[in-house]
Amino acid sequence: MGPVELLHMSVFSQSFSPCGRFLAAGNNYGEIALFSLAAALSPDATAANQKPVLTFTAHEGPVFSLLSTDCVLLSSGNGEVSSWSWTELTKKNVKPLWTKRPNYKSGLEIPEINSMVINPRDNSLAIGAGDNNIHILDLEHGAFKATLQGHTDYLHCVCMREREAELLSGGEDGAVRMWDSRTGQCVHCIEVYKYESCARPRYGKWISCLTTDSDWMLCGGGPSLSLWHLRSLSPTSVFPLRGCQRQAAFHQDMILAVGEGAFVSHCLLGGEVKAQIPCTPPSLNTMQLNTKSSEHRVLTVGGGSSNIDVFTNLSYRAFSLSF
Amino acid sequence: MGAVTDDEVIRKRLLIDGDGAGDDRRINLLLKSFTKWCHSPGSPEEGFTQYQRMLGTLAQCEFSMGKTLMVYDMNLREMENYEKIYSNIEQSIMSAHDKIGECKKEIQRAKRIRKNRQEYDALAKVIQQHPDRHETLKQLEALDKELQQLSHIKENVDAKLELRKKQFHVLLTTIQELQQTLEIDEKSDSDDHSQESPAENGE
Repeated sequence: MGPVELLHMSVFSQSFSPCGRFLAAGNNYGEIALFSLAAALSPDATAANQKPVLTFTAHEGPVFSLLSTDCVLLSSGNGEVSSWSWTELTKKNVKPLWTKRPNYKSGLEIPEINSMVINPRDNSLAIGAGDNNIHILDLEHGAFKATLQGHTDYLHCVCMREREAELLSGGEDGAVRMWDSRTGQCVHCIEVYKYESCARPRYGKWISCLTTDSDWMLCGGGPSLSLWHLRSLSPTSVFPLRGCQRQAAFHQDMILAVGEGAFVSHCLLGGEVKAQIPCTPPSLNTMQLNTKSSEHRVLTVGGGSSNIDVFTNLSYRAFSLSF
Repeated sequence: MGAVTDDEVIRKRLLIDGDGAGDDRRINLLLKSFTKWCHSPGSPEEGFTQYQRMLGTLAQCEFSMGKTLMVYDMNLREMENYEKIYSNIEQSIMSAHDKIGECKKEIQRAKRIRKNRQEYDALAKVIQQHPDRHETLKQLEALDKELQQLSHIKENVDAKLELRKKQFHVLLTTIQELQQTLEIDEKSDSDDHSQESPAENGE
């Protein structure tokens, strides 16, 4: 990796291992790097511990999405999904378990896969693809079960509403659609840009970040980041954040959001921005909280640089891992 | 006893004689003077003075032994005291740990409560934007009443219209019949006339 490539590197996705001791990060060159959190967080960590323990090329195109289940790491790139075993990766064995390609209708262009989410009820993977559809892959049998059609432009993000077994998807066409995961029907369709309080016409109508905790939903992108009450499908708070948000999460009583701008925004549910914690990349693409481990409970963010910032305490940046 | 090496003996002796120059020497001197006194042929006064001197030395030795014993006791008690303080501190560390755990749980609870409150506030904000339910119900009732009244009036007006229509109809039919009767009469009159005049012309 020459210095010029490092300068142009962007981190698009991250995922923690099921044991919580490793972090996998995917960049725009199609590589996945594995960092050892246990080594980087130990009291006698050196600069070498902040480098990856393993880097390998996973796909030809950028790795836009990474997802971990109990024993495998799923990665998406260039229209295909690959699965890697975590135990094999920790032993530095980089052979994928399988690589599958959803059935795209158009043969000419290769749609990218921007986002994936697992439905734990029936062990299936929902893939939000660039051909405007959501493809459902059954992880047990390895076959594509269904295709959810409805969006008129490519999908940016998908997430799962656990309690009601619904899938939420947001796309470039500005619509947030809710699908029933059993029947595959589109239950609701919210066009966020049509609501005056959220719309920001000068940024566009695309929805790039979507997250939910069954009762509430956060969505943002072109329109401002807003908190929606799902039962009544009405926006309750709009967050005055400049720039477009690319990822948001509910954490205890706060909302964390990252996007354009070199900071992590902490917001309260009422709509105020409590704090903006600065970090090294000039803009952020991905944010992950390590909830699976109790001793390595960190927040990591990555974006338009080869550095991944690690926050041990949410109020300040502790150190950075670098590719 | 035979297995104890010379080094050990020397080390022990050095240790014991460490506190003040002369305890060991005093005991040795006492022993020597005692043997000298036993074997001395001198006068009884000298023997007596030497005896007194030996008693004095013995008393000194006993005194220093008593002092050492007391110091030893004091050290033992100090050790006990420190043990007690040590265990107290350990206990308070444990309880502080427990308290920290409790406080952390409290914080989690408080954060959850705060989150719930904020969600409630957010929903309340949205709900406030909609008008009050009672007012809307009252407005609906008033509108209903108005509607009823208006339909009542409409019915009345309709009935009146029907009545008038019927009356006019009766009037018009009567007029038409009268007209017809008059025409028939006129016609029969003119017929009569025309029948009479040819009859007159014929004569």
